[in-house]
Amino acid sequence: MSETYIDRFPAEAKVVRSAFYGSFLALAIGGLMGIIQTLHRTGYYRFIDSADYYTVLTAHGVFLVISFTIFFLVGIFTWAITTSLDREVEDIRFTWGWYALMAIGITLTGIAILAGFTDATDISSSVLFTFYAPLQAHPMFYLGLVLFVVGTWLAGADWFRSWWAWKQENPGERIPLPTFMVLTTMIMWYIATLGVATAILLFLLPWSLGLIDSVNPTLTRTLFWFFGHPVVYFWLMPAYMMWYIMLPKVSGGKLFSDPLARVVFILFLVLSVPTGIHHQYLDPGIAEGFKFIAMTNTMFLLLPSFLTAFTVVASMEHGARQRGGTGYFGWLKALPWRDPVFSGMALAGLMFAAAGFSGMINAGMNINYLVHNTFWVVGHFHLTVGTGVALTFMAVTYWFLPQVTGKALWSRSVGLAQVVTWFVGMTFMSNAMHRAGLLGIPRRTAEPLYEGFEYSAVVGSVGELQAQIALGGLLLSLSLLLFFANVIGTVLNGKSDSLPANEYAGTLSGPEDSPRVLDNLKLWTGIAIVLVIFAYTFPLLSIIERGGLFGPDVIEYVPISVDSLPLLVGAIELVFANTLAAIGDGGTALLEGVTR
Amino acid sequence: MNIHTYEKAWLAASLLLIVGFIVTITYGSVGLGIAMIDDSEDTIEPDELDEDERFAEPRVEQVGENEYEAYVVARTFFYNPDTVEVPANSEVTFYVTSGDVIHSYSVVGTNLNTMVIPGEVSTMTAEFDEPGEYGVICNEYCGGGHHDMEGQLHVVPEDEFDMTELSVEAPDEVELGDDATFEVTVENGQLDDLETTIDLEVGNETIEEAVTVAGQESETTTIDVDTADLGEGDHDWTVTVDDYDESGTLTVAEELEAGDDDE
Repeated sequence: MSETYIDRFPAEAKVVRSAFYGSFLALAIGGLMGIIQTLHRTGYYRFIDSADYYTVLTAHGVFLVISFTIFFLVGIFTWAITTSLDREVEDIRFTWGWYALMAIGITLTGIAILAGFTDATDISSSVLFTFYAPLQAHPMFYLGLVLFVVGTWLAGADWFRSWWAWKQENPGERIPLPTFMVLTTMIMWYIATLGVATAILLFLLPWSLGLIDSVNPTLTRTLFWFFGHPVVYFWLMPAYMMWYIMLPKVSGGKLFSDPLARVVFILFLVLSVPTGIHHQYLDPGIAEGFKFIAMTNTMFLLLPSFLTAFTVVASMEHGARQRGGTGYFGWLKALPWRDPVFSGMALAGLMFAAAGFSGMINAGMNINYLVHNTFWVVGHFHLTVGTGVALTFMAVTYWFLPQVTGKALWSRSVGLAQVVTWFVGMTFMSNAMHRAGLLGIPRRTAEPLYEGFEYSAVVGSVGELQAQIALGGLLLSLSLLLFFANVIGTVLNGKSDSLPANEYAGTLSGPEDSPRVLDNLKLWTGIAIVLVIFAYTFPLLSIIERGGLFGPDVIEYVPISVDSLPLLVGAIELVFANTLAAIGDGGTALLEGVTR
Repeated sequence: MNIHTYEKAWLAASLLLIVGFIVTITYGSVGLGIAMIDDSEDTIEPDELDEDERFAEPRVEQVGENEYEAYVVARTFFYNPDTVEVPANSEVTFYVTSGDVIHSYSVVGTNLNTMVIPGEVSTMTAEFDEPGEYGVICNEYCGGGHHDMEGQLHVVPEDEFDMTELSVEAPDEVELGDDATFEVTVENGQLDDLETTIDLEVGNETIEEAVTVAGQESETTTIDVDTADLGEGDHDWTVTVDDYDESGTLTVAEELEAGDDDE
């Protein structure tokens, strides 16, 4: 009998399972909000007040991109650490501790949002996922987010603790690839969340409690995007992990290159944060030069995705040829398209590639004028997080759920129908959203049609676009129903003895081919911090100088100003010099690795 | 490090593409002059816009032969002014600020698009070659009435564009035999002198008066009408200057009743 995850790690399987269930609950609520707003916005069916649309939208955003994605990823990260280090967590009570903290946090935030539907309380938080001040949410909204994020910090600590304990017992061993991916992602997350933690703890929470009178809207907005861009990589890197370590396996082969997988995750660690200002290309009060720096960093962030495209396709081809595939493109036919785990991930990857193209447009700071805050952007991120990430997560659920429950998947055919329906639904919805954005139709609005003017469509019509969006939304909802049917059917299934073993893909070119410097996490963390300091110190100082730390009324209390700049520059230079020294060491090691 | 030859080629091509993107964007900024919204304007106190000389009365101003400046204030859920009117063949610089939360000022179907943040003034310059009418929308969520926030941008043919304003002060009642005094103020917002005619029609009388208003000045012309010519009764009047007019009713009475009773 093969060994499944739940056989080897029964206690951890329970945590992973709980994380999945939390994630699916959020997916259900968020998905329900999605179809309500699709039908309202397109005008096909309206049963809420347009003012309540924004409460629906806030819930849709927060439940899907915060709780669905992050609960799912802490589940697969726990799986990845325990499986690849082949050791139980150090203390299961600690593991349940961070799970509980995350659950309490998101519950508080969720209540603060959903209470906006009733007049029974004066609690309301219709501030959308971005909560830009001076829009103000109920304090519980901010407090819940803080607890949730602290929960993820502790989860990271749990995984680092496992790695450190493993390292003591396995001196000189290379970090197993899945663990390496978890650790780099978490370091990126620690750096990124400093922005949102500062925004909430120093400004928004005290302000919502009435402890301070005002905030500097540009400052809290900039701190949000300090977190708001890298958070998309926090969703994406687990999906990438699945493409690297699961997709080759289900294709029937091996991962093409372990070293380049490590390089890709390092690039994400280093470049994810110093790009947030690209969400603020059209903000007044931020100099053009700062925007230019964010733009170049963003463009280089394309590199790890390009590398991934190559490696993933090459791994798939390798798998197909192992299965007897031949020819230039003929090998595609040999892939296991009837397996929802494979086809879901492959279709998600394909859509993510399309998202890359609209992302390049968004990143171009002058062409951004045309698409900023239009429906185009919504089309873009429904391809990235809404398909690249969400469809990958749903597809791998068909593999993971049996592993953590010990029960066979209820139906492969329903699973296949689910992933294909999602793909088709999103094709309609996202394509129409992109086109609508080019006409100037805005995002984030209950009623996109105005009294004073009409949009002029060169091809098709606004009505046709609305119809496609509504159709897409309905197909996506259908896909969700199929998904939940499969999850519930699986959970209600009896125990199975014929499940596959808990394994991930081997590699064609293994860690022995990659220089040891790639595993030097301190070095990459140092470089990431230096880049963040370079990209953000001057913009933040300038924003505080202009608008005051707590808004214009209290500008005289600004503790740092341009006068104290030399001191700060000194500090930066010190950090930089230390890091350069570290890079020097690393560089030597890298050269040795290459020449060897 | 062991990298497959194809992968090296792919890596090189990817880097080339990335550098290519950065070059085209730089060309757009430097070569085509598509400047980003930036920090060139000083900050402003959002609670005191009423005392600001630019935003107390948001408006369009002519600053050069074909150059205009438009000042706009965004608030939940409207723009002031809600319609900005400029002539074709002009270069217009927009200055937009917010009196409350974050908004945007986005001209639909164009790349005129900026965030509007309280405390900051967004500025962008655009050239309008052709006449046209555009919708202006707020594309940043600003509260429950966000979807009602809209404005207009009208680019009118050059020869139909003016910045003339007319106001008339006239009495309601005059005693028969006294003069009725019409004070007609013509304001010229443009830089060039405005040469035009004031037409006053009252009862059956028509009075014409030529007037010249210097650039960015206003001129008040006093026209006296002898009520003896009008006769007793109610007389409708209309003052017309170019495309603008103002009208009212003048009552000529034998003896004024109101006001004298207390003496």
